[in-house]
Amino acid sequence: MNNAYLDIIRIRFLTMLAYRVNYYSGIVIYAINIGAYYFLWQAIYGDQPTLGGFTVAQMTTYVAVSWMSRAFYFNNLDREIANEIRDGSVAIQFIRPYSYLLVKMMQGLGEGLFRLLLFMVPGMVFVCLIFPVTLPTSLETWMIYLIMLVFSFLINTQINMLAGLFAFYVENNEGMMRMKRVMVDLFSGVIIPVSFFPGWLEGIMKWLPFQAITYLPSSVFTGRTEGGMALQVLGLQALWFAVLLLPILWIWRKARHRLFVQGG
Amino acid sequence: MIYLQLFWEYFKNYAKTRLTYRADFWIEVLSDLLFQGMNLIFILVVFQHTESLGGWSQAEVVFVYGYFMIPYGLFSTFFSLWNFSERYIVKGEMDRVLTRPAHNLAQIVLENMDPPSLIGSLVGVIIMVISGAQLGLSFGFTDVLMMMLLVIGSVLVYAGIYIAITAIGFYSDSPTGIAPLMYNIQNYGRYPVGIYNKVIRFILTWIIPFAFVGVYPASFFLNADSGHNSSLALLTPVVGLVFATAALLFWNHGVKRYRGAGS
Amino acid sequence: MLAIDVERLQKSFRVQKNREGLGGALKDLLRREYTEVEAVKRISFQIPQGEICGYIGENGAGKSTTIKMLTGILVPTSGKVVVGGYVPFKEREKFVKNIGVVFGQRSQLWWDIGVIESFHLLRKVYRVPENDFRKRLDELVERLQLGELLNRPVRKLSLGQRMRCELVASLLHNPSILFLDEPTIGLDILVKTEIRDFLMGLNKEHGTTILLTTHDLQDIEALCSRVIMLDDGSIIYDGSLETLKSNWSKGREIQFQFAHPVKKAQMESWTEGLDIQWRPENDLTAKLWLPHSVNVSEALSRIVGATEIRDIKILETNTDEIVREIYQSEKVSS
Repeated sequence: MNNAYLDIIRIRFLTMLAYRVNYYSGIVIYAINIGAYYFLWQAIYGDQPTLGGFTVAQMTTYVAVSWMSRAFYFNNLDREIANEIRDGSVAIQFIRPYSYLLVKMMQGLGEGLFRLLLFMVPGMVFVCLIFPVTLPTSLETWMIYLIMLVFSFLINTQINMLAGLFAFYVENNEGMMRMKRVMVDLFSGVIIPVSFFPGWLEGIMKWLPFQAITYLPSSVFTGRTEGGMALQVLGLQALWFAVLLLPILWIWRKARHRLFVQGG
Repeated sequence: MIYLQLFWEYFKNYAKTRLTYRADFWIEVLSDLLFQGMNLIFILVVFQHTESLGGWSQAEVVFVYGYFMIPYGLFSTFFSLWNFSERYIVKGEMDRVLTRPAHNLAQIVLENMDPPSLIGSLVGVIIMVISGAQLGLSFGFTDVLMMMLLVIGSVLVYAGIYIAITAIGFYSDSPTGIAPLMYNIQNYGRYPVGIYNKVIRFILTWIIPFAFVGVYPASFFLNADSGHNSSLALLTPVVGLVFATAALLFWNHGVKRYRGAGS
Repeated sequence: MLAIDVERLQKSFRVQKNREGLGGALKDLLRREYTEVEAVKRISFQIPQGEICGYIGENGAGKSTTIKMLTGILVPTSGKVVVGGYVPFKEREKFVKNIGVVFGQRSQLWWDIGVIESFHLLRKVYRVPENDFRKRLDELVERLQLGELLNRPVRKLSLGQRMRCELVASLLHNPSILFLDEPTIGLDILVKTEIRDFLMGLNKEHGTTILLTTHDLQDIEALCSRVIMLDDGSIIYDGSLETLKSNWSKGREIQFQFAHPVKKAQMESWTEGLDIQWRPENDLTAKLWLPHSVNVSEALSRIVGATEIRDIKILETNTDEIVREIYQSEKVSS
C-alpha cells in the first residue's frame, strides 16, 4: 500500500488525540450508554429466560460488544464528503495524485483505530468489571471477530460514502444523511437485535446490508453463531463489501465526468 | 420586547431561506420525525416480547414518550446549536456576533432556530392523546395548565444541559463537541427510571437530569392507582430554572474567557 | 475629540504547546504545556475624530488582535483603550451601536436570501428608526450603485458586489467609527477604486473616523492621512505617509537617455566630488542613484552641461519597497 495513506491514518489518529475533552467524555458516555441499555434489557427480560433467541447473559454481552464495535466503525464521512462537495473543494481532489475516496476511508480508519485502542479497549475492561459480560474463550472466535470488525467498518463506511456522494445530485442532502443514520442504528442491530423484529421485517433485513454491520458479527461474538455459520457470516460481509463497491465507483465516475464537462 | 421583535425578524429570514429549498424542507421534517420515531419503534418492538417494562405497560411508556416529544420539539426549535464550536469559534463567527448590540446567546439562538421541529411537539401531543385515551386518562383545565408549566420546566432543563455542553466550546479547542454523544443519553430519561440502578438513576435525576424531561413530569398525569406518580414531577420547573441559570452563568463565563483568550 | 485613545495596550495569549509524535500526543492527553505569547506589546496611539488611519503590518504582527480589542471582541490583558467614549469590552452592547465593522474575509449577510432582508434584520438589531433607516439606505444604495442587487441572494453576488453590500450593512446605523479589516482583499482594481472613493466621501461628508488594516498600500496612499505600522506587536512607525516616504527612502533614482554613447568613466567624471553612483544599462542609457544629501539641481546641471540628453525620468521609490525595506531593517536590528 502507498505510504501516504498510512500517513493519513496516523495524522487523523493524532488529530483525535489532540482533543482530550472529546476523549474523556467519549469514554464516560459510552459507558453510560452500555449501562443504561443493560438495565433497560434487564427490565425488558423481567423473569423471562430468553427473548428473540437471546439469553439474558448473551444479551448483556451483545449490548456491550455492539456499542463498542460501533465506536470503531462509526464515522462522519458522509457529512465530510457532502460538505466538500457542496463547497466545491472536491473538484481539487480530482487533480491530486491520490484517490479521494481512499483518503477519506483512511481518515475514517484513523478515527476508528483511535476509538478502538483508546475507547474500546479501556471501555471494554471497565464494562467487564461492572456488568456480567462473558467474553469468548476461544482464540478462533476472537480472530474471526476482529476480521468481521474490519468488514463492519468497511460496509458502514461504504454506506456513509454513498449518502455523502448523494450531494452531487441534490443541493442539500442533510435530511438523507439523518435518515441514513437512523436506518443504520436501527437496522444494524445496535439498538435492537434483528431477531427481535417482527417476522416480516426480519425477512426484509436479510436482504439489506445493515445487519452485516453489527448484528451478525456481534452474534458471533456472543457465541450464538458458531463454527461454519460464523464463516458464512464472514462471507456475507465480504459479499456486501463487494456489492456496495459498485454503486460508489459508478457515482464517482459519473460525478467526475460531470465535473470535467460542466466545470463544477 | 426587543427580543420578541428580533425573533420575528429572524423568523421571517428563516422562512425565506427555507422557501428557497422547498423539497429539502419536507425530507428534513420527515427524517427528523423518523429519528425520534426510532425510539418509538424500539418501544413497540420490545413490547412484542414482553408485557411490562419494570411494571409499566406499553401505553404508559408510550405516553411518557409522547410527553418527551413536546419539550424536545420546543427545545430543538431554539437550541439546535450542534455546530456551534465549528461555526462560531473555529470559523470565527463569534467575532461578528460580538460586534452587534444584542446578547450574544440570544443572537446565536435566533440565528440557528429551526421551527419545523415544532412538528415533533405536535406529534407528541397526538401520541399523548392516543395513549392517554387507552389508559383512560382525563384532562381537565388544571391539567392543561400544569402541562404547560411542566413543559416549560422540561424545556429549561434541556436548554440548560445543552447550553452548558455547547459552552464547553469556549473552554476546549475541540471542534466536534460532545453534544452528538449526549444524544443517546437523553433517551434514557424517557424510560421508567426505576429500572436503572442507583448510580444511573442518580445521574439522570441530578447530574444530567434528563428524567425531568420525560418520565418524572409525565408521570404526574398518569392514574393514581398505577403507582407511577412521582413526587419529583413538581420539581421540574425548579430543576429547570436552576439548570438554565447555571448554564447561562457558565456560558457568560465562557464568553468572557473567549474574549480574554481570543482564537 | 479623540475617536480612539489607546495607551500601553497589551494582550498576551496562552498558546498550547503540542508535543511531537504519538508519545507526545499521549502526554498531551494527560498534561498540557503552554507558552505565553505577547501579541500586542504596550502600544499607544490616539486617533482624532474624522481621521482615516491605515494600520499596517505583516501577518501575525498583531493587527487583528488590536482591531479585536478596539471593537470589544477581546478583552485586553492590560492598558487603556477608549473608543468613541466607551471602554469597548465593558459596555459592549451600548458601545457597538456606535461602530461599524467589516471583516473582509467573513460575511455578515444571510447567504441564501436577498441582501435587503439582511439589512432589515440589522435595522432591528441596531434599533434604527424606520425613517432614518430609509434615508440612510437610499443614500448608501445610490452611492454604491446597489440598486438592482438588493433583491439578489448573497450567494449570487460577485465578491465586489458582496463587499459593497457588506459596507452598507456596517453603516446602516450610522456609526461614527468604522473598522475595516482588509476591505479590498481579492477585489479588482475597478472595485477597489470605487470603494476607496466611497470611503473618502463618507469621511468627508459624515466625518466618519476610519481605521483600516490592509496589505494593499495603494489603499493607504489613496485614503490615509496617517499610517501606523506594526511589527511583532510593537508600533514601529506612526505618522503621515509623506514623512514615512521621505524618512525611509534614502534617495532617488534618475534615468538618462543620452544622444551619444557614453562610457562609465566619462559619466563619473561629470559628477566628480558628488556622492553619486552610476549604473549604465547600455551605451545610451544609464541610471543614476543619488541620496537625499545630494542636491538634485546641482547634479542635473552638471550632467546636462556635459552632454546632450534625449530623455530624463525621475524614479520615485514606491511605498511597497519602502515598507519592505523597513521590515527588513527591523528584522536585522532586532
